[in-house]
This record gives sequence, structure tokens and C-alpha cells, in this order.
Amino acid sequence: MVPFWILFLVAVAAGLVGSMTGMGGGVVLVPALTLLGVDIKHAIATSMIAVIATSSGSAAAYVRDRITNLKVGMFLEMFTILGAWVGASITLAAGRRWLFILFGAILLASAVSMLAERRRDRQAAPEQDKFTHWLELEGSYYDSAEQQRIDYTPRRAYLGGPFMFGAGLIAGLLGIGAGALKVLIFDVVMGMPSKVSTTTSDLIIGVTALAGTSVYLAAGLIDPGRAAPVILGVLAGAYVGTRVLVRLTNRAVRMLFVVVLLGLGGQMVWRGIQGGL
Amino acid sequence: MSEEDTEAPDRSTLPGLGMDTVVGYVLLAGVLLSIALIVSGLAWHWAATGHLELTYRIAGMNLLQFVSSDAGQFASRPLDPQTIVSAGMAVLMLTPYVRVIASVAYFALAERNWKYVAFTTFVLGVLTYTLFLR
Repeated sequence: MVPFWILFLVAVAAGLVGSMTGMGGGVVLVPALTLLGVDIKHAIATSMIAVIATSSGSAAAYVRDRITNLKVGMFLEMFTILGAWVGASITLAAGRRWLFILFGAILLASAVSMLAERRRDRQAAPEQDKFTHWLELEGSYYDSAEQQRIDYTPRRAYLGGPFMFGAGLIAGLLGIGAGALKVLIFDVVMGMPSKVSTTTSDLIIGVTALAGTSVYLAAGLIDPGRAAPVILGVLAGAYVGTRVLVRLTNRAVRMLFVVVLLGLGGQMVWRGIQGGL
Repeated sequence: MSEEDTEAPDRSTLPGLGMDTVVGYVLLAGVLLSIALIVSGLAWHWAATGHLELTYRIAGMNLLQFVSSDAGQFASRPLDPQTIVSAGMAVLMLTPYVRVIASVAYFALAERNWKYVAFTTFVLGVLTYTLFLR
């Protein structure tokens, strides 16, 4: 049994790194728990319930600030919850080696995406289609940095839905929020402003994680003795990461996280291939 | 930039006014109550035993069984730290669920937007089904 304080501190670190990088705590938490000797399926289930806590906490603030687009979130969570349910069911049936390899591959892919500078100017999306117009997804928010109201018109909701099913599947499968993937879909596929993408992603991650958590709870994979310190630790880490520390912008610090991700991802793939779990 | 552009938002005229408030406070209340319960249970456990490690396990059960079993323990026997920690976890898991119920109610009763009543009811239905999984 892993001591309470070790679990708590590891979760604080995961929440801190996750909030600073925008990747969420699960990406670091799951490999860290497996390194402490926790079975990967239990690690994924524990991470999933912690994701509910962090996403609900941050979504509460963003929703009240009226940046989140609730209609976009509520339309797309129809797809993410189905994906999470399917993903969690696959995890229950999957071999542990494959979970290690898949999780490692996701970490390595995240490291590569962090290496690439995020493009600032989005390409102009095509005109709004009839389906997205029918969904009434247009929105506006007050940008405190630019000190003006920003109006925007989401597009291609017919593509956003299926893509979100995929994001939900990865979230449920690996016990992560998959926030970076969801933001990418909002941003690139639906042409939404970055702030709205990030905050709307937080809103739907909670419901997505609940669908996955239900599957893991029914399978007996949620252990309160492990979940309690992890929930508190991830929340504390995420709080410090978002309120006290600046968001990750410095290239040198970014490179440090890339190295961490490459190390965690590489060891997970290696453990999966070796089979000595 | 026009004067209108530089004004702070007039919250009373922005779309989705009540919905933002309802959803935001449901999430905030759920997370805070959950943290309070988990911390209280752990503090009590530490005071009683001198350590923080909880050793009990949850046998495979769905969330509704988990909630009803915890509520039954609240009602039928003296409280113990494990029951309080479990209650905190149950509150946490129910928070997004209550948020969806609040969304359905708001779209139906306040906005009368039946399209979104249908979407949120679908989400509520799938979530309810997963809560009954066993």
C-alpha cells in the first residue's frame, strides 16, 4: 500500500504540471502511480475520478465568468460521454501491456505537440453551415485582456461531434481529461476562440469523466484509500498551478516538461513491450 | 474601437445569464462540499487512528448503489470516517450529474428551448444508464 503522503504529493505534482502545461493532471498521474506499483487499471480509474474534481473546479469559475459556451458544451457532451463509456469498457477488457504502450504513445505524442509552437493565427473557417446555425451556437464574451467584447460564430458542428466521440474515447480509455485534444477540436475544426475552447472543454470533461468513472466503479477499480489523497492532491496542485504560477510560456521550462513527458512515455512503452509490469 | 466595445459586459443582457450562474454554482458547491467531506473524514480518521491510510475497499457496485449504501449508513448507524470520505466521493461523482439535471430543468422551464431540452435529456439518460451499470 502506497503511503497517503506519497500519493498526495505525487498528485500535487501531477496537478501542478497538468495545469501549467494545459494537459490536465491525468497525463502525469497515471504513469506516476504505475511507477509507485499501482496496477495500471486502478491508476486509470483513480485518475478518472480526480479528473471530475479538477474539471468541475475550474469549470465553475469559467462558467460564472461567462466565457464558456454552454450550448456548444451541451451539444458536444452527447458525443464525449458515449466515447468515454466505450473507452472505459475497452480498458476493462484490454491487456495491461497494450494499455502501457498506448498510454506511452499518447505521452510521446503530447511531447511532440508541445515541441511545436502553437500557431497563433487560425485559418479563417468557412462560412457557418446550416446545421451549426440551427444549433444556435453563436456566442460572445468579454475579454478582460483586450478590454472588449468578442463575438464569434462556431462552424462545422457536424464534424465536431464525431471528433468529440474520439476525444471521449481516449479520455475514458486512459483515465485522462483529454483537454488538449478537445481544445484542438474546438479551435481547428469549429473555429472557436482559444479562451472559449479551453473553458468549454473544462465543462464537458467533468461529465465525460463521470461516464468513465461509473464503469470503473462498477468494476471495483475505485479504491477510496487511494482516491481520497489523489483527489485532494490534484486539486491543490491545479489550484497552485493556475492561481500562483504563471502559465507555461518560457521555452526552457517547456523543454523540461517535454523531457519529463518523453521519459514517462518512453518508460511506459518500454514496460509494455517488456511485459514485466 | 467603439465605446460599446470597451464597456465591461452588461451581465443582465448577455445571453445565458441565469444558466451560467446556475451551472457555475452547482459545480462550485459540489466540489467544495466534496472536499469538505473528504478532509473531515480523513481528519477524523487521523485523530482516531494516528494515520491517514484508509484500508476499506468498495466492492464493484454502481454509483446509485454506492450512494444509497452510504446514505443508509448515515441513517442507520453512528457516523464513522469511512462513511464521510465515501460521501465526499459520492458528492464529487454526482456533481456533474446534478449539473446536467439543472441544465435540463433550465432549458425546459426558463428558456423553453426544446432542442436543448432534448440534447441534455439524452446526456442525462446515458449518464443515468451508466450510473445503473453493474
